[in-house]
Amino acid sequence: MTAQAPPTPRSSGQAPAGAGRAAGGWSGGWSGRARAAAARPWLLLAPALLVLAVLLLWPLVRVFLFSLQDYGLREITTGEPNWIGLRNYTEILTAPELWTVVLPNTVGFAVLSVAGTVVFGTAVAVLLASLGPFWRTVTSSAIMAAWAMPAVTGTYVWVWIFDADRGVFNDTLMNLGLLDDPTNWFTGRWTFYAIVLLNVIHHGFPFVAVTVLAGLLGVPKEMLEAAEMDGAGAFRRFFSIVVPQLRQVFAVVIILSTIWDFKVFAQVYLMPGGAGSNRSVLNLGVWSYVESFGQNRYGFGSAIAVLLTLLLLAITAVYVRTVLAEEER
Amino acid sequence: MNRAMRRSVAAATGAVLLAATTAACGGGSGGDSGEGDGALSVWIMQGTNPDADDFFDEVAAAFEEETGATLDVEFVEWGDAHDRFVTSIAGGTTPDVAETGTTWTPEFADAGALAPLDEHVSGAGVTDDLVEGLVEAGTYDEQLYGMPWYAGVRSLVYNTEMFEQAGVEPPTTWDELEEAAAALKEEFPDKIAVAVPGDAEFTVYPWVWGAGGEVATLEGDTWTSHLDSPEAQEGIGFWTGLATEGGYSSEGATTWRETDVLDAFAAGDVGMAVMGSWTPGAIVEANADMEGKFAAVPIPGQDGGIAPSVLGGSHLSMFETAEDKDLAWTFIEMMTTGEFAQKWAEQSGYFPGQVSLLDETLASTDPLVAPFAEQFVDGGASVPAAPTYGAVQAKLTTSTMMQSILSGEQDVATASAAAAEEMTSVLNGAG
Repeated sequence: MTAQAPPTPRSSGQAPAGAGRAAGGWSGGWSGRARAAAARPWLLLAPALLVLAVLLLWPLVRVFLFSLQDYGLREITTGEPNWIGLRNYTEILTAPELWTVVLPNTVGFAVLSVAGTVVFGTAVAVLLASLGPFWRTVTSSAIMAAWAMPAVTGTYVWVWIFDADRGVFNDTLMNLGLLDDPTNWFTGRWTFYAIVLLNVIHHGFPFVAVTVLAGLLGVPKEMLEAAEMDGAGAFRRFFSIVVPQLRQVFAVVIILSTIWDFKVFAQVYLMPGGAGSNRSVLNLGVWSYVESFGQNRYGFGSAIAVLLTLLLLAITAVYVRTVLAEEER
Repeated sequence: MNRAMRRSVAAATGAVLLAATTAACGGGSGGDSGEGDGALSVWIMQGTNPDADDFFDEVAAAFEEETGATLDVEFVEWGDAHDRFVTSIAGGTTPDVAETGTTWTPEFADAGALAPLDEHVSGAGVTDDLVEGLVEAGTYDEQLYGMPWYAGVRSLVYNTEMFEQAGVEPPTTWDELEEAAAALKEEFPDKIAVAVPGDAEFTVYPWVWGAGGEVATLEGDTWTSHLDSPEAQEGIGFWTGLATEGGYSSEGATTWRETDVLDAFAAGDVGMAVMGSWTPGAIVEANADMEGKFAAVPIPGQDGGIAPSVLGGSHLSMFETAEDKDLAWTFIEMMTTGEFAQKWAEQSGYFPGQVSLLDETLASTDPLVAPFAEQFVDGGASVPAAPTYGAVQAKLTTSTMMQSILSGEQDVATASAAAAEEMTSVLNGAG
C-alpha cells in the first residue's frame, strides 16, 4: 500500500495535461501520408488482433449473450435461445445475500489480503536484497516452495493445522492452558477468513517478493549512498528513494494481487463449511459457482462473470490512471 | 492497403478454421464414433469396482457373442462426470448407454437427453423384480429413465470393542441409542460416542423419516418440503440434540463430511455413526487393527423398527442419441439382471438392483452384510426424484441447516423452517 498516490490535487491537476500529451502523437496533422503512417502499425498487428478477437473477444461476447438468457441444461440440449433481458442482472443486484454477505466478504478480504501480501512480500524482498549470495539462495528456495505448492494442497494443510479435534493449533492452545475445550474455527465468519487470509498470503507473497526484489536490485546504489551521507535513516531511504523508484513494480503486483484475491475460490471452497453450508462465509467466487453451476443456471453465472469483469476493469483502470498520472508529473 | 486487407482476412479465416477444428477435436471423442458398424458406446464411472477392467472384458466377450456387436467402454471419473455429461448433451455426443448417479437421472431426463425404458423393462418381465427405492429415484414424469443397477445404503455402524467395554447393546430405539451414547461417553470421555456430522445430508434424512416425517412431497406439479413439520423437527432435534445437548459428538464434527466420519471411525475414535454399506472395506484398509472390531445394525426407528435410509447408487440409462435402442437395451439387461449384476455386486461390495438376486445376500450371517441388506430391502428410500434435487444438493440446504444448529447459531425450529423454505423454492425451479 506504500505505492498509493501522494496528494491528489496536484496529480489530478496534471492529469489532463498528461492525457493531452499522450494524444499528441495521434492528432498531429491528418494529411493522407500521416494517416497511412498511423495506420501501418495497426495493419501489421491486424492478424494477431484478429486471432485474439476470435479466441478471446468472441467468448466474451458469448458470455455476455448468455447473461441475457435463462440458459440451463434444457437450452443447451435444444440449442434454442431463451431471452429474458436484464432479469439475471436485476436478480443479482437485488439479492440480499450479495450486499450483506458476499460483497463485504469479497471486498474486505481482497483489501486485507492484497495489503498483507504486498507488505509481507516487500519485507521479504528487502530481507533478500540484504543477504549474501548463499543465504539468499537458501531463503529464496524456501520461498519458492511456498509458491510452488498447489492451492489445493496448501489449503488442506491449513485445514489440518486448524482442525478442531486433531489440529496442531488447538492442541497447542490447550496444552498451554489458553483453551479449555476444542473450538471449531471454521464455523465463525472472522476466524474462517483469518485462516483463509493466512493461506492466501502464504501462497501469494513469494510472487511479490521475487518481483519487488528484481526492482530493488535495479535501484542505483549511488542514490542510496548519497542519501545516507545526507543523514537519511533506513526507513527514510526506503520510503523516499526505493519506493518511488519501484512505483511501476508495485502497480503490477497490486493489480495482479487484487485480481487474484477477488477471484479466490479453491481456498474458500475447500475449507470445512466453505462450499456453501456456512452461508456467512460465502464470497463472490463460491456464491456464483453454487448459484450458477450447481443449479445449471449458466445464464445467471454469466451475468455474475460480466459484473465481476466490469468491476475488476474499473479497479484496474482507476489504478493505472493514478500511476500514469504520477509518471507524467 | 488492399493486400494487407486481404492478408488479414485470410488470417481471420485461418483463425476461424483453427477454432472450428479445435472444437471438433474436443467434441469428437464422445459417443457416436462406432455407430453403424455394430458397436455400442458406454460410459462407466470409475472407482466403484476395483476390478472393472477385467469385468468389462468379460462382459464385452459375452456381449459380442450374443449380439455380434462390439462394446466400447469408457471409464469416467465420478468427479468429472456431471460436467462431461452436460457438455456431451450440449454437443449431441452422448454415449449410447451410461451409468448415471441416481440423483442425476431425473435431471438428464428433464433435459430430454434420456430414452424411457418402461417398454423394454416390461418386455423383459422384470418390472416387479426391481428394488423399489431405485425405481423411485429413476422415475421422472411417471416414466422410468434409469434402470436400477446397483446401490448401497447407510446403516448404523458401531465399534464392538467400545460397546462391550461400556456394557451396552446395539440400540433398537432412539431411547436406547441415547442411553448407549451416554454409557459410551462415561466409559470413553475422550472419544466420540456418536458422530453427528454437519455436512452429510444422507445421515440426516433417516431421523426425519424415522420420526414419521418427509423430506419433500410432490402434489400435482408442485414440490413441498416438510423439513419443518413437527415430525421432521423431532427427528432433526433428536439427532442434533445428541451433539448439542448430550455432548456425545465432537466440536469438529460440526463441519465434518462423511469421509471425516470414516477417518475418525477407522482410527477407533468413534462409538457409532451412520455409515454406508461400502465403507467396511475402506475402514479396514485405513486401519487393519479395526478388522473384526465393528458391526452394523439397521438405523432404529423412533420406537423400534427400521428408519428408512437413502439408497445411493447408479442406474444404467439409455440416451436418445443411441441409434440401435434394442442393442442398447440388450446391454442394459445383461448388466442389471442375472449373472453379471450379481458378479458386479460381489466385486464392488454394493447390492444389486434386482430383488431376486438379494435373497442370497439376505441369508448371510456376516455382521457387516446382513444388517445392511436388511436396511436395503426393508428400509430403503429415495431423496425427492425431482430434476432440481441436484440443485438442492449443490446449495447444501440440509448441511446449512445442520451446521447452523450444531454450531448453536440457530435452533431446530428456525433452521428447519429456513431449510424447508429454500428446498421448496429450489425444487420448484426458482433460483
